[in-house]
Formats: sequence, C-alpha cells, structure tokens
Amino acid sequence: VTVEPHRHEGVFIYRGAEDALVTLNMVPGHSVYGERRIAVTEGGVKQEYRTWNPFRSKLAAAILGGVDQIHIKPKSKVLYLGAASGTTVSHVSDIIGPDGLVYAVEFSHRAGRDLVNVAKQRTNIIPVLEDARHPLKYRMLIGMVDVIFADVAQPDQSRIVALNAHTFLRNGGHFLISIKANCIDSTASAEAVFASEVRKLQQENLKPQEQLTLEPYERDHAVVVGVYRPLPKSGSK
Amino acid sequence: LLQVLNEKKLQEVDSLWKEFETPEKANKIVKLKHFEKFQDTAEALAAFTALMEGKINKQLKKVLKKIVKEAHEPLAVADAKLGGVIKEKLNLSCIHSPVVNELMRGIRSQMDGLIPGVEPREMAAMCLGLAHSLSRYRLKFSADKVDTMIVQAISLLDDLDKELNNYIMRCREWYGWHFPELGKIISDNLTYCKCLQKVGDRKNYASAKLSELLPEEVEAEVKAAAEISMGTEVSEEDICNILHLCTQVIEISEYRTQLYEYLQNRMMAIAPNVTVMVGELVGARLIAHAGSLLNLAKHAASTVQILGAEKALFRALKSRRDTPKYGLIYHASLVGQTSPKHKGKISRMLAAKTVLAIRYDAFGEDSSSAMGVENRAKLEARLRTLEDRGIRKISGTGKALAKTEKYEHKSEVKTYDPSGDSTLPTCSKKRKIEQVDKEDEIIEKKAKKAKVKIK
Repeated sequence: VTVEPHRHEGVFIYRGAEDALVTLNMVPGHSVYGERRIAVTEGGVKQEYRTWNPFRSKLAAAILGGVDQIHIKPKSKVLYLGAASGTTVSHVSDIIGPDGLVYAVEFSHRAGRDLVNVAKQRTNIIPVLEDARHPLKYRMLIGMVDVIFADVAQPDQSRIVALNAHTFLRNGGHFLISIKANCIDSTASAEAVFASEVRKLQQENLKPQEQLTLEPYERDHAVVVGVYRPLPKSGSK
Repeated sequence: LLQVLNEKKLQEVDSLWKEFETPEKANKIVKLKHFEKFQDTAEALAAFTALMEGKINKQLKKVLKKIVKEAHEPLAVADAKLGGVIKEKLNLSCIHSPVVNELMRGIRSQMDGLIPGVEPREMAAMCLGLAHSLSRYRLKFSADKVDTMIVQAISLLDDLDKELNNYIMRCREWYGWHFPELGKIISDNLTYCKCLQKVGDRKNYASAKLSELLPEEVEAEVKAAAEISMGTEVSEEDICNILHLCTQVIEISEYRTQLYEYLQNRMMAIAPNVTVMVGELVGARLIAHAGSLLNLAKHAASTVQILGAEKALFRALKSRRDTPKYGLIYHASLVGQTSPKHKGKISRMLAAKTVLAIRYDAFGEDSSSAMGVENRAKLEARLRTLEDRGIRKISGTGKALAKTEKYEHKSEVKTYDPSGDSTLPTCSKKRKIEQVDKEDEIIEKKAKKAKVKIK
C-alpha cells in the first residue's frame, strides 16, 4: 500500500487493492462529500489523502484520461467558474496548498450554501456567489489569476470564459474548459459542437493547445486546455 | 485612486502590458494618489452592495468630489454603467475603452507593488472576509425567496399523492382479508378508511352507526354483507395495526387538503395574474419546472407552451418530425374545454397571454389581477369565435349559404392486383423483334460505308 506522486504536481496515486487518484487533505480528519480518506505513514509523518472520484469530477476524469498539463500546481491562483457544491473545488484547494488561492464562483444559492460551508474549513477557497456572466460585479474580490477552470454547462460558456479571462487572467495564463455537447446544441453531433466552441475561443485570443474527450467517465464531454495571450518567447525578435 | 503619469504610453493598447511586468515599471506609469480604508467589514459590505446596484455610496462620493474635481482630469472606470452614474450625479467626465481595460489588467496584476503598506497576506485575508460576508448577505437576502415556498409545496403535494395512493391500496388489501365485500361496496377511499376506523372488527358492524358517513341503502348493504362475509377472522392486535394505518391515511388526506388550500393562497398572493389565466395547479407546476418565478419570466412564449414535454420535443427535433403542441399547459382549463382540433391553437394563444401575465407578476410592482382577468376574457371570446367558425361551415349564416361539395359517388370496388405475385422480373430485357431488325440494318449500312472507304 503506497502513495506515489503523479506526473502532475500536487496529485498522487494510491496503489493498493485498487488504484485510485488522491490528493493530500488540507484539513485532516474531515471528508467534504463523503469520499474515502486514506491515512499513510511516510517516513514517520502521518499524511491523510482523499480519493478523487473521476465520475463526479471532470478534472479527475481529464487527469485520468491523460491530459498533458493541468497547469494547476501548488501556490497557483485559480479562478473556478461553476463551483457547484465545492466537491472538485476542495480537490483543487488540496493541490494548490495553503499558499495558493482558488476563487470559486457559483450562482445557485442552494449549491452556494454548501460551497460556503466548504470554504469555512479551507482558507484558500474564496466563495463568490455571483453570475459568472458579469465579471465586473465581483471584480473587487479577485486579483489576477494564473488559471481559469470553467465547468459552467451553459450555451454561451465561451463568452463567459472570454469575459472572465479579459478581466482576471494574466498574460500567458492558462484555461481549462469542460464542454458538454448536449448543453451547447443537442441536435448537432458532439465533434461539430467541440469544433465550433474551439473556433469561438480562438476568436477571443484564447489559444487552445489540447482537446481531450472524457470517455469513459462522461458521454459527449470534452476538455479544452489552452493559453491566453501567450508571452513572446525570449530570443524572438 | 491612481493617477496615470505617462499618457503617451496609453496610446499603444497592445504593448501596454509590458509596462506592468514588474512593480518598478508599474510605479513609473501610475502613481497612487489616494487610498481610503474601510473601517470594518460591514462598511465594506455596504459599499459593495451599493456598487452592485449601480449607486454611489457616501464614502465614494466624498473621495471623488475631493480629489478628482480638483484635478480636473477624466476618470477611468472599469464599469461603464458606474461611469454613467458618476457623470450624472457628480458631473465628472468618465472614460471607458479598451485602453482602460488594459490599464485595469495591469494595475490588478501589480496591485501589491502599487499600494505601499498593504501586505499580500492582508489583502488575501481582506478578500476572504469580504467574500464570506457577501455570500452570507446574498444567501439571506434573496429577493426571489418567496416563490421557493410554491416550488416546495407543489413537490410535496405530488409526493403526498403518491404516498397516499400506496397506503390506501395497502389498507384495502390488508382489511380485504377480513372483510372483502366492503371494498367493493364503498369505492371512495376516504369513506372506506373512516368506516373502517369507526367499526374495526366485522362483528361490530351490526351495532355500529354509520349514518354520517354513508347513505341509508349503502349502510344496509354493508351491514348485510358483514353478516355473510367470507373473510378470515382477525385478532385484536391485527385490527389494531390496521386501524393505525387507517388513522395515518386519514391524517395525510386532511393534510393534503390543507396543503392544497395553502398552495392556492400562496399562488394568489405571489402570482395573481398567472392564477387567473391558467389556474393554481398549472401555474405552480410551471413555476416549479422553471425553478423560480423570475426564471419562468425569462422564457419565451413558445417555451412556456411546451414546458414539460421536453422528451417529446428533443426527440422530434433530432428526427426532424413535428414537435409537440403543448406541455404542462395542456392541463389548463381553457385548453381542456376545447375540442381536440383546436387544442393546439388555444394552447399557443394561452401561452402567449400567460407569458405576459408571468412577466407582470414577476417584475411589476402592484399585485392586482386585473390584467389577468382582461386577458382571460379576450381569450375566451376568441375561443368562442373559433368554435363558431366550425359550426358556421356546416349551417351557414344569414348572408351566405354554407358551401357544400357536389355529391359524387366514388365507387370503391377493390380488386386484387396480381402483379405482386411473381418475383421474377418482367420482360424488360428482351428486345422486341422490330428493334432487332432495325439495329441490324444500321450495322450493315455502316459496314458498307467502311468498305467503300477502304477501297
């Protein structure tokens, strides 16, 4: 029974009877959504890890699907659009550690209640209960971020991500968008929907770098990872 | 409040970000002019909410008046609407453009360096505290909380109906082992349970008085059936348990009627026009389906028409067939009282007027149902004309006779078509004899010409 680090910083793999994706629990002894916790003694130090369910979390599904870079690493600042009840946000909070910050934006009040409860325990989560379509409404709460993760499931989600990127994402920052084909257009084929979304992103200066489908965890879902206003490479004229 | 030092650099929008790469560079292009601290979180919260509604609170007014008016320079604002309000109230010129956005991005990225005396940890703590108090404020003071009651009430009503049905069926089954004939005589569920509760064991029927619950003949029937029943005997404990179940059923039934009244009251209070147009139940279901009254108000009339028939709608859209004509609105009384031919038309008209009523209830200030009553009267008049049009086609009016088609007897004698019997192909490949001869002639002529040429 061992826990070894994953290629992505901050994420770990638990090798036991069944392998699982885990993150280091920032609040040992507490479960956020009833997930399994694993206590391991490493070199005399007791560490607690929380299992990450890829069927409930799109980010875990992307990591297990083999995405090249998630860009969310310790000490980074993340803007999370569509935080819902805070299940995936808690794992992001584990990855970035106490020095990072994740701004969790969620519009629904019912889910926002649960999100605020999660944020009470973890001080690197800042809950924002506003509509992500109007980033100017919460501009006082958020500084510049390094990564935007969007899981909003709205038909105009490219526009939402673009607006937030123009206001909060630093130059050279990255974005991860989870696209649900059914949500954008339920009559068109999934590939056509993904291609049109990628085109919309390119028009807003959000350069996509990789696209990955979330099979077998979700159907007709894809994750697009890219860079915003890439910094000019040093040495170029 | 920051002042731009070098305005020429503002001309190049694209390279503006380079100026903010490091804190030192940033300090060269903008300078901190004034920094106002909030006394505590409550003050900050008040300022935040004022900004959100588009109003300027006193503190901001003071700062702007004092400093910007003296400087006589335009103020760059990130939010165009706020700029408009500032211009109106304080008469200061404001600018909002892509340059301003770039500037804001730069300032935001170098916030720590530009404001001396504020550590990053302090900033983070401030953000966290403010965000939590803001979230709490949002959750408590949600203006649309009132219609949550309706959504919950209608869901509870559906749940209660299902549970009640289950319990009643179980009760009938269970007691049916003891006295099966009672189930067939009394068809109404509530009366059955009340009767059961009063009497209990079969032996008590002769002496029991059921005149309040049942009419005379039925009571006599029940008493007669009790004498010659073929059910089993049951002990005291068993009857006790059945009686418990009965009491539960009666309580739930009463609660259900109470809940229905409550729902009617709430609907009339929250959305009077919708109630007048489609009825309380359908109105409540529409609101529950959309989530809240405000959400429902954002839908188009065509959406409200087919709300509730999503499965059929998307199935039809994907296979390019006809989409459904009505969803939840089918159960409105106006649609129910028309003939099947006109249900589609009426549902469309009703949806169009209902959407107006919904928006009036959601966004309007007064809570009278005059508009709903008017619209409903209009719809009913239109419904009557629709029905009349159908009747007039047959009987005609005073001025014009009804048009009828001339009667022609169409003989419908059906014969058997034997062409479908044989699976062998019909003679299309055999060339006809005249064709063969002609083709041979043409070939001969060509051969002769060729011979002549060679020669």
